[in-house]
Amino acid sequence: MSSDGNLRTSLENVVIVEIGDQMGDYAALLLAGLGAEVIKIEPPEGAPSRSIGPFATATPDPEQSIFFWRYNLNKKSVILDLDQPTALEPLKRILAKADILLLAGEFPAVERRLEQCRQFAHENPRLIQCAITPFGLDGPYRELKSTDLVQMALGGIMAVCGYDPDADRKYDTPPIAPAMWHSYHIGGEYAAIAMMAALNFRDLSGEGQLIDVSVHEAINTCTELAIPTYIYNGETVLRQTSRHAAPAITQMRLSTSADGVYMLASLSPFEREERAFVELADQVGIAHVLRTPEYAELEKQDRRAALTYRNDLIEQVVASLPAREVFEKAQALGLAWSPIRRPEENLDDRHFAARGTFAEIYHPELGRSLRYPGTVATDGQAPHMHYSRRAPRLGEHTDSVLEWAGFSRNEIAELRRQHLI
Amino acid sequence: MANQANSRPRALEGVRIIDLTWLQVGPQATRILASFGAQVIRIEWRKRGAIDFLRYFQPFAPNHATPDGGRVQGSAPSHGVRGNYDRGAYFNNTNPGKYGVTLNLNHPKGRDLLRRMVRDANAICENFSPGQMDKWGLGYEELRKVNPGLIYLQTTGMGKAGTYKDYVSYGPTAQAFSGLTFLSGLPDQAQPAGWGYSYLDHSPGYFGAMLLMAALRRQRADGRGGYIDMSQTETGLMLTGTSIVEHQLTGKNTERYGNRMPFRAWAPHGAYRCAGADNWIAVSIQSDVQWQALIEEMESPAWARDSRFATAAGRQQHQDELDAKLTEFTVEQDRYDLMNRLQARAIPAGVVQRAADRFDHDPQLKARGYYVDLPHSEIGTWPIEGFPSKLSASPAYVGGLTGRAAPKLGEDNDFVYHDILGLSTDELAALREEDVI
Repeated sequence: MSSDGNLRTSLENVVIVEIGDQMGDYAALLLAGLGAEVIKIEPPEGAPSRSIGPFATATPDPEQSIFFWRYNLNKKSVILDLDQPTALEPLKRILAKADILLLAGEFPAVERRLEQCRQFAHENPRLIQCAITPFGLDGPYRELKSTDLVQMALGGIMAVCGYDPDADRKYDTPPIAPAMWHSYHIGGEYAAIAMMAALNFRDLSGEGQLIDVSVHEAINTCTELAIPTYIYNGETVLRQTSRHAAPAITQMRLSTSADGVYMLASLSPFEREERAFVELADQVGIAHVLRTPEYAELEKQDRRAALTYRNDLIEQVVASLPAREVFEKAQALGLAWSPIRRPEENLDDRHFAARGTFAEIYHPELGRSLRYPGTVATDGQAPHMHYSRRAPRLGEHTDSVLEWAGFSRNEIAELRRQHLI
Repeated sequence: MANQANSRPRALEGVRIIDLTWLQVGPQATRILASFGAQVIRIEWRKRGAIDFLRYFQPFAPNHATPDGGRVQGSAPSHGVRGNYDRGAYFNNTNPGKYGVTLNLNHPKGRDLLRRMVRDANAICENFSPGQMDKWGLGYEELRKVNPGLIYLQTTGMGKAGTYKDYVSYGPTAQAFSGLTFLSGLPDQAQPAGWGYSYLDHSPGYFGAMLLMAALRRQRADGRGGYIDMSQTETGLMLTGTSIVEHQLTGKNTERYGNRMPFRAWAPHGAYRCAGADNWIAVSIQSDVQWQALIEEMESPAWARDSRFATAAGRQQHQDELDAKLTEFTVEQDRYDLMNRLQARAIPAGVVQRAADRFDHDPQLKARGYYVDLPHSEIGTWPIEGFPSKLSASPAYVGGLTGRAAPKLGEDNDFVYHDILGLSTDELAALREEDVI
């Protein structure tokens, strides 16, 4: 397959200046993977995301945050103390050469930076400004205090995620936020989309613009059936163990393989899936009455009992083999089954090795490379996204970026004397 | 309508997308492109086995919903209205702003017609099971002969390159494989809770839109197209980088943390039961100052002044007891009232909102105009979930170019085949007769 369409350098002329907290790290990381140059401007103590664990060392250290490492690949770090009024001149000169200013954080902080940069945006009308805030730049909630967890609560994801209720539909377990920092993932993905749209618009019009990303709204877009079920039918979906939230309790359940791995093994209401499952049961030698008149009769008499019978059979089939074999046999028959893996179990999977999913990143300080998830797509041969540099050390690129922005060595020395950089 | 009052172009002005996607994972990308002004032509076939599952999957618009009827919540038969594929509510929410045509790709003339459409298109998107387009002779290598600058987005569970290139997947399958399913749930429960929805039916659409827009910029600049083999599973792995890197450094296996926050000194941190049925509030205490403010809000109960809870480290160490005590307080409280009181003290707190709360109550979503009313030609006007960002110069509008929610099956056959492709009325009639469109 031809690879002249690879996108890994498609943003190579785009310069993004990123300022703020962990709400912006992922959005800029994604565009960096398509070739954008991301300059992260940090306060002297380092960006807030440097203080998020886990850490590679026993005690927290801004250079040792694995969280920071992951979300800041390929980026450059510049120290600039934007709370000093005299820092605005360097910022102005950097923004004069930038395409996108990405601001992330709570509303008051982002609002202050937008105000600081208003004049610079006026002088560079091609500049795209993207503000990622918890609730957006307007509206009654804009100043609410939030965290990832609070956002997942208000945004609606927690209400659809958790464990089954009891027989009376009462819950003795809380709603669950499915993964940490997920609100920033969703917000970051939407911010990246919006920035791509703004770049397309600028190609057509020559104009930059202001993008106002609300993490709250971003979370709201992905609760699937919950909103339509309510809007159209006035019904509330129920959270259910490892299944989609739905207005009724569904039958599917997790199965366990012979080697003790939970498997997602279920059948959709398509005849071809039932046929495939029958073949699988026959292959592993488990007796059953599926697709016989006896089963047809049971389905007619008691649909629920028939489903239970079938789910019991699925459990037996899965329990008869190690997870790897269940996975391969089921997939060979066209059943969309999978083991429930820990993320790291994918590191050595040959499928991802073949696709180049993991980017091998050298850390000179560690004297070794680490593998990071590095793409979501290939062109048939090579990944569309590309990461090659570890996250920057604090201020690692201060001098080189200022030189790029037109500062002389003497000017840089003066900035340093003023403790601006 | 967002962009018609001025003469500015839309972000994707003049872009035409041939949309062969279905279910959730594919249509998500084209939904976004439509909202930025691309002309998205959704191709479907009306035979039961080929029809998008979401057209006949619950929930359905209530029976009283008609083209002119206002929206009123109501119950609908579990099968919609048999033989009518235009009442699916989730389908309506997933496919606004798109044109809809019917086309039989099992018919040679149908495939010819598709090639003709591809000739003048910027991009084609599909998420069939691996290999289906090749079986029709409509894979990327074939279609680029018709249009060398074509962008081709293919979304599959594992990705079309690699060992598992023929493996099949729904969103939950990819989610289980990627590690995301494992991450969700309580540490003391053997089973993961899973996600309650398929994020991996969303994020490939987000990445699809992102990569397509990167490719469209380049196509505009130098005419090049390209092939995008999107992997649902990889979009999940992108979110697990921290765990994966930590594992390489320490050998530590990933664990579940429930709603707690082990990576910062934050406690209490969780969802706490409030008054009423299944009502909860999320509270995140990030500092001793916030903890003191919470104590004051609780009117300084003796337990809260226990020295074990005085520091973040102590609170984290004794979280089980802390959570039980805090619940004794929250369980008596009205959830929104408590949220307002805690927020007034600058404590991060938010109600665990259900759909009704988000739709009927949430003042922020209302003020920002998040839900957008759009008409549907069969079931009338309903609120559709919007695009979660405001762009000052090229706003997204989920009604796209059609100004409509989802298309009825084949609703735009005349517009697309006659007005765009230039087929005559007689040709259309003949194609209809031959079961091609």
